[in-house]
Amino acid sequence: MIRFVLKRTGAAAVLLVVLSALVFVLQQISPGDPARAYVGGNASPAAVAAARQQLGLDQPWPQQYLRYLWNALHGDLGLSLRTHQPVTSDLGQFLPATAELVLFSFVLAIVLALLFALSGALRWPGTGIYRGVLLVGATAPAFLLGLGGIVVFYGDLHWLPEAGRGVDTSSPTGFVLVDSLLHGDLTGFVAGFQHLLLPGLALAVAPAISIGRILRAGLESAYGADYVRTARAKGIREFGVLWRHVVRNSLDAALSMSGLQLGFMFAGVVIVEDVFSWPGIGYYLAQSIPQSDFPAIAGVTLLLGGVYIVVNAVVDVIQAVADPRLTV
Amino acid sequence: MTAISVPRRRFALSLGERFRPAHRIVNWTLVGLLVLTTLVAVFASLLAPDNPIQPVGDLNLPPFSPGHLLGTDNLGRDLLSRTLIGLRASWFSALAVVVIGLLFGGLLGVVAGAFGGWIDGLLMRFTDLFLALPGALVAIAVNAALGPGLIHTLIGVSLVWWPYYARIIRAEVRGLASRPHVEAARLAGVGRLRLIFKHILPGVVPTAIVTASLDIGNVVVLLAGLSFLGLGQSAPAPELGADVQHSLYLLLEQWWIPIIPGLTVMVLSLIANLGGDALRNLLAGEK
Repeated sequence: MIRFVLKRTGAAAVLLVVLSALVFVLQQISPGDPARAYVGGNASPAAVAAARQQLGLDQPWPQQYLRYLWNALHGDLGLSLRTHQPVTSDLGQFLPATAELVLFSFVLAIVLALLFALSGALRWPGTGIYRGVLLVGATAPAFLLGLGGIVVFYGDLHWLPEAGRGVDTSSPTGFVLVDSLLHGDLTGFVAGFQHLLLPGLALAVAPAISIGRILRAGLESAYGADYVRTARAKGIREFGVLWRHVVRNSLDAALSMSGLQLGFMFAGVVIVEDVFSWPGIGYYLAQSIPQSDFPAIAGVTLLLGGVYIVVNAVVDVIQAVADPRLTV
Repeated sequence: MTAISVPRRRFALSLGERFRPAHRIVNWTLVGLLVLTTLVAVFASLLAPDNPIQPVGDLNLPPFSPGHLLGTDNLGRDLLSRTLIGLRASWFSALAVVVIGLLFGGLLGVVAGAFGGWIDGLLMRFTDLFLALPGALVAIAVNAALGPGLIHTLIGVSLVWWPYYARIIRAEVRGLASRPHVEAARLAGVGRLRLIFKHILPGVVPTAIVTASLDIGNVVVLLAGLSFLGLGQSAPAPELGADVQHSLYLLLEQWWIPIIPGLTVMVLSLIANLGGDALRNLLAGEK
């Protein structure tokens, strides 16, 4: 087991280095001169040259890369060309909003996937429409789901808010739902929840289908198993059979798919945040793209890509703990 | 014929067997839809009633207005024409990405699968490396570094889209290489290249086609997302994702202007998914 954990950690470390190298190379080929950006557009050539030397841009590539890696490890990702702030502090400011949206959406996705799988495997009457809608929804681009939601639930019905997080929060966790509860602010909690609902759903539909399909296949195969027949023959009630024998035995593959999808969600959150003006990292990225603010784009890629790699590694380890056969 | 059909009927007890002919018709219809979409894309400029980048009518006309089936946008351009030309860009871009992925990933997969040993190990480690990176995010970063533009988008997406094909085709090649007909050919002294081209590749083609056709929908959606973020073609060119972005501010008054291009993306992706499924069913049924 320890060997497996070490191996998986090593692989994740290699991937992080590859990701950083890729981002570094992209930064080299991107238009725009970091030295000029550093001193400003009107600076004299001498000042630009001095900045070039100060930033180490006159050194050979491998040395520059090591310097870049060193700085990144110490939390220095350069200055954003758009906000003129250090990219790291920008990211720190926007990370909680993204984390809350993704985690909320992940819980929604799990619930939708469970409903999808159970209603399919148990042939619940009338739920074919639900599964059909979810399947079709999963082929839609996330921005269409978001916009459709805004038109219907904000424009027509006035049930839900259009954009943003509703509540300004920075302490102590930066999660609206947690902070409002800690402060005993129930209206804030409800407002935060309402603001989370549409973007959360827009982000949740596609992963819900991927997880739900795997879970449904697992449920159906577990239903035919001998131990289920035995459990029924012993006289266990149907719910007990379902919960203790069928669901628990079909979770394995669905778990690893869930981890994979959680990683995908951290990458896919960009478009949803853009649609809902959600003040997170994805919105920050979407704002940086039209301005060609590459230091910011690179920072977001490193952060979200890093989260993706780490989440996948952690899921692999959790799975190995749950099922030691995987380490062989 | 009757001699064959009698025992068939006796064993045709399962529902799937009984509905087989109906299934075949549905499957062929869905594959036909795939072909039809491609034809619409090919003849988009002939089908488009107006110039997609010139104002031709009043502003913000709703769908089913006389002369403008889908209405007009905020600059008075015909939405049907813009949608058709945008559809062409989306469909062909997605096809291009899938074909590039199939060729590059397929080449790697065939070489790795057919040669085995350290070549296989090296190529597959390389593939896994790309597979483990977050594809959409890397595509955005590459595209942003190169600057906006359709070619840059295609480079960015193609760069992250091939590993999947390399994996699948390698597995298929390895499976085929241990089949009796390939072993027999090898024992008969057939050379390695001839073995690959004559005995293994023909068996890989159906899997490759099905995988690719099931994938077109995903690529259409990813490309629309990049275009929505402002990474595709520049402003006046009709592009489904970018058209949504540019008319976002009209969402609550003239909702159809941003929604129609978005719906088009969804329909394309739906057709690609259903058509790919149908193709798989047809190929599986004929084995």
